[in-house]
Parts: sequence; structure tokens; C-alpha cells
Amino acid sequence: MKKFNESIVFKSIFGIVLMLAVFSLIVSSLGYKGFTEALLEQYADGAFRTADASTTLIDTDEMTSFILSGGKSERYKNTYARLSRMCNATGMTFIYVIQPDTTDYEHITFIFSTINENSGYDQYPFGYVRETTNEDYKNKYRRLYEGDSERELVIRDKGYIETDPHITAMMPLKNSAGEPVGILCVQRQMDSLLKSRNAYLKEVLIVMLIIALLVIFGQSSYLHKVCLMPIKKITDEAKRYATENVPSEKKLTEIISNKDEIGQLAHSIDQMEETIQEYVINLTKITAEKERISTELELATHIQADMLPSVFPAFPGRKELDIFASMNPAREVGGDFYDFFFIDDDHLYMAVADVSGKGVPAALFMIAAKIILANNAKNESSPAQIMESANQYMCENNKEEMFVTVWMGILEISTGKLKAANAGHEYPVIREPGKKFELLKDKHSFVMGAAETTKYHDYELQLTPGSKIFLYTDGVPEATDAHNNMFGTKRMLEALNKEPTASPKHIIENVNKEVGIFVKDEEQFDDLTMLCLEYKGIL
Amino acid sequence: MEITRKEDNGSIILNIKGEIDGTNVDEFEKSLKESVSQSQNVVLDLTGLVYISSTVLRVFLMYQKQMKAKGGVMVIKNVGNDVMDIFNVTGFVKLLNIEK
Repeated sequence: MKKFNESIVFKSIFGIVLMLAVFSLIVSSLGYKGFTEALLEQYADGAFRTADASTTLIDTDEMTSFILSGGKSERYKNTYARLSRMCNATGMTFIYVIQPDTTDYEHITFIFSTINENSGYDQYPFGYVRETTNEDYKNKYRRLYEGDSERELVIRDKGYIETDPHITAMMPLKNSAGEPVGILCVQRQMDSLLKSRNAYLKEVLIVMLIIALLVIFGQSSYLHKVCLMPIKKITDEAKRYATENVPSEKKLTEIISNKDEIGQLAHSIDQMEETIQEYVINLTKITAEKERISTELELATHIQADMLPSVFPAFPGRKELDIFASMNPAREVGGDFYDFFFIDDDHLYMAVADVSGKGVPAALFMIAAKIILANNAKNESSPAQIMESANQYMCENNKEEMFVTVWMGILEISTGKLKAANAGHEYPVIREPGKKFELLKDKHSFVMGAAETTKYHDYELQLTPGSKIFLYTDGVPEATDAHNNMFGTKRMLEALNKEPTASPKHIIENVNKEVGIFVKDEEQFDDLTMLCLEYKGIL
Repeated sequence: MEITRKEDNGSIILNIKGEIDGTNVDEFEKSLKESVSQSQNVVLDLTGLVYISSTVLRVFLMYQKQMKAKGGVMVIKNVGNDVMDIFNVTGFVKLLNIEK
């Protein structure tokens, strides 16, 4: 099973939650700003109203006498009491009156300093002098005092060591002559503003959290239903098909109702299964067909091999001769053949032939050719005559233009006379007793099966006891090695002359061996057929 | 094997070089068939052809006959010694129109 963080559900939810977080961050910071500004305005407004009201409580023309009395006169005390009541009644933190030092505004002197009884702070005593808190205050004192402004607001919302976050609304006090005699300041704590702002943020966060949870839950169950379950079904089906290889009873498109990409995927898988199924059925058919053909071909190989004399020694009763032959087709069936049999007691018929082409067509023609030749051999007296009548027969209805090269000989055992004819076949190889095997450049006629009017010609050889004749098809000299070199008649003669006195069987084995060494691992391309006869004469 | 084809005043000249055997006889047969069907006069220039296997003889025979049947001429020229030997041995030398 996959890890959760690799699943589609996780990825999709993670993305949504991330977007939600960014969104809520933007919303809450915008809300925070708007909220703060709106509340601050209200706060400032309240502070200024109080400040405005407070200025009416002070008789500005009395300021000098207040200061001169050192804050001890009855009138000072009355005014102080009224300011103090105003402070408590309006919920402000401080209401105080100061006189800045007008040379550089670096110091201020407190004339009145009232404090809210619930605030927990202490008021400054009359005449208390302190340094101006910062440049902001300094500039604003100056502006108020020098008549540039009728009201100023200082906001200190960060929280400081000596006080909590607060605002201070400031207004100048002027005597009846219009000269500035002090500044009235109303300080108001911002604790409730912060409190409600925090509550607001908390609410936003809680709502966002709830929405996030709902999204996670909703999205995961939605995805599970429309995406994961169908995908799982498709995966299961694909796995099942891979192991069982049989189509399911119900198609995926019947199980999955999606019309989206997943639906298309399901459809594709269904189609794939169908196509593979058809392919498998086809393949099974073809394989069966192939097997049938190969069985039949194997059978044909046997039939073909059985048609050639293949029991050696061939004539155990005849001491006058020894004969051996072999055929190795390049494919299952071949177009070469050899044949030999006694026409009568004294006459041995032998033939080696090569049908043009290879494989089944050549094999069919080969069988026909062999039978026609063998049948004619019983009716005609010489190889040329046999060939002529057989040729006419082969030419009839030979639309495929198949032809066969044939070397044919009839040996008279009693005399050693060999009558032979060559229909476009390879030169025979003859060895006279005590000599080497040599090519006999005999008289050639045209191949059989190609032209009806072809004339064939006999020639005669006199065999003496110990003479050998070797016949072959072009598969022997034309056997090819990996470098495309051909075995050739020269190498063939060398192989024959290795042991020229050996038995026909041995001689053919020698040639076979040399051809094998020469071609090495190359595929045998042509049929390989050889026949060797040794004439021993009348003993 | 390499076959180049030229056309000259209605006749088709095929030059065949290299070797033709069982592996490429189909290719040879295809181009010969095409030429025989297109022209009444086909010349096979065998300059540079060093070997043909017996399978190839069947193709020569088949198209020689087809050409004759439709009243055309198939001429073979510039036959090298090795190929000539094969034509001699098989007797094809009598059947084909070989220009010396």
C-alpha cells in the first residue's frame, strides 16, 4: 500500500489547505488593519470630546495664580477635583495639564495631573518636571503651543516599559488674550481595543480551522468516491487481468460511472483487454496452425527420406559393387534427391538431381521428378531416352517453371560399362584405380522441365574394378562460410583425395566433415546430397 | 547484389553486380518482373556479376519464357566467366539470348 503522503487525496488536500491558509492570512491581516483603524478613530474621537469638555473646566486666566499658589489655592483644588471627576466619569486614564519649556521643548512641567482611580497608576505631583518622552511629543507640543494646530493625537500602540499601549489627545489652553498657557492632555489606554482585536483574530482563526477541517473531510471523501475508488477498481482489474489473462464478466465502464478522464481510462482498459483477447485468440489459432504445419512437415520429411533408398549396405548380396548416398535438406524438406536400383540383374540405375528452389515447392517437384524418372527407367533403354520422355512429361503444365538438373547413369555390372547423361547437373567426379579423384567434364544438356524439345545425349565410361564415381549437388561446392567464401570443387576434390581408397560411406563422411569444418556455425543454405559408387567387378 | 536500372529509347537496361543467391533472389526477381512487364526489350547487363546459384536460373528461365510469349526480347550481355560456366553446365546457354 502507498504511503498516505504519496496519495492523490493527500496532495489535493494539502494544496487546498495551503491556499486556504494563504487566503485566511490575507483576510485576517486586512481585517486586522481595518479593525484597528476603525477602533482607533472611535477611541481618538472619545478622547478629544473629553479633552474638549475638560478645557471648559479650567479658567485659563487663572493659570498664573494656580502656579503661583504652588497648587495650594482653593480655586486650584476645585479645578483639580472637577478634572479628576471628569477623568473617572469618562473612563480616561489620565487627564493632565502641562507647560512645556518653550525654549527647546525638552522638558515639561505638570500643572494638573489627575488619574483614573481604577488605573493603578500614580499621578505626578504639582510642578513635576520631566523630560519630553520623544520627538513626536516634542514636535506636537511645539505645534500646539505656537498656534500651528488646535488638536494633536499621539498613538503608542506597541506597549512600553512604563505604560500599556495608549493614545493621547492634546489641545492647547489659551487665556482670554489668546496666548497659550498650557496643554491639556487626555490619555486613554487601548486595552479594550487590543482585547476585542485579539478576540476578532481568534474568531477568524477558529472559523478558518473549521473550514479547513470541513474541506479536508469533504474533499477527501469526495475524491475517495469520484477518483480513488474508481482508480482502485481499474488497478485491481488490470492486476487481475495480468495474472488471469481472461476478460472480466463485467466491463469496467459498467462498474465505473465516471464520464471524466477516469472514465476514459476505464474505457481504454476495456478496449485493451478486448484487443489483447482477440490477439491471444488469433495467436492461439496461428500457433495451432503452425504446429499442425510443422507436424505435417516433419511427416513430409520422413516420407521424403523414406522415398530414397536409405538402408546400407544397399545390396548385401551383390559383391560387385558398393554404394552409399546421403541427403541433408537445408529445410525440413528439400529439392535434392538421389536414387539407385537394379533395373534388371545386370543393370544398376543411379541418379542424382537438384530441383531449382528449396522447401515444399521444390520437394513436391522432386517427388514427381523422381517417380517419373524411375518409371521411365523401366521402359527406356538409355539415360538420354529416359530423360527425353521424362522431360516431355515434366514440361506439361509446369507453370511455375520449376526445373531439375539430373545426372543419370546405368551401369552394366557384367562389363563395367557406364552409360550416362547429364541434364545441366554438376560434373561428376571419377577415380580410376590407383589414381586420384578428378572432375569429369562431361557433355552437358539442358535442365529438365524447362523446354519440351530438349535433346539429351548419352556418353559411355568404362569402369574397371576399383573405379569410383562420386556424384553431388551444388550444395557441396557452394557451401558458404561466414566470410561468404564458397567451399568449391577444389576443396571438395581435396576432401575426396584424403582417403581415395576408403569405402564409399567413408568417403562421403570425409566430405561431410570437411564441409562442416569449412562453414563452421553458418546456417546450411542449400540441400547437401552426395552419392558414391565403387565398382568392384566380377569377383 | 546491386541492381541499377536505366531506360533507353523504350528498352530497359538492368545492370546486376555482385552475387545472386537464395538470400536475394526475390529482390532480383522483383525488379526483373517489373521490367519485363513494362518493356518489350529488356537487357540484362551482367558486368560485375560474379556468381549465381542454381535457384536464380529458374528466374532467368521464367522471364525468358514470359518475354518470348508476349513477343518481346530479353537479351543478356557481358557475362563473366564464372557465370558463363554455370550457364554452360546447366545448358542455359542454349536457351537464353546471350550476346557475346
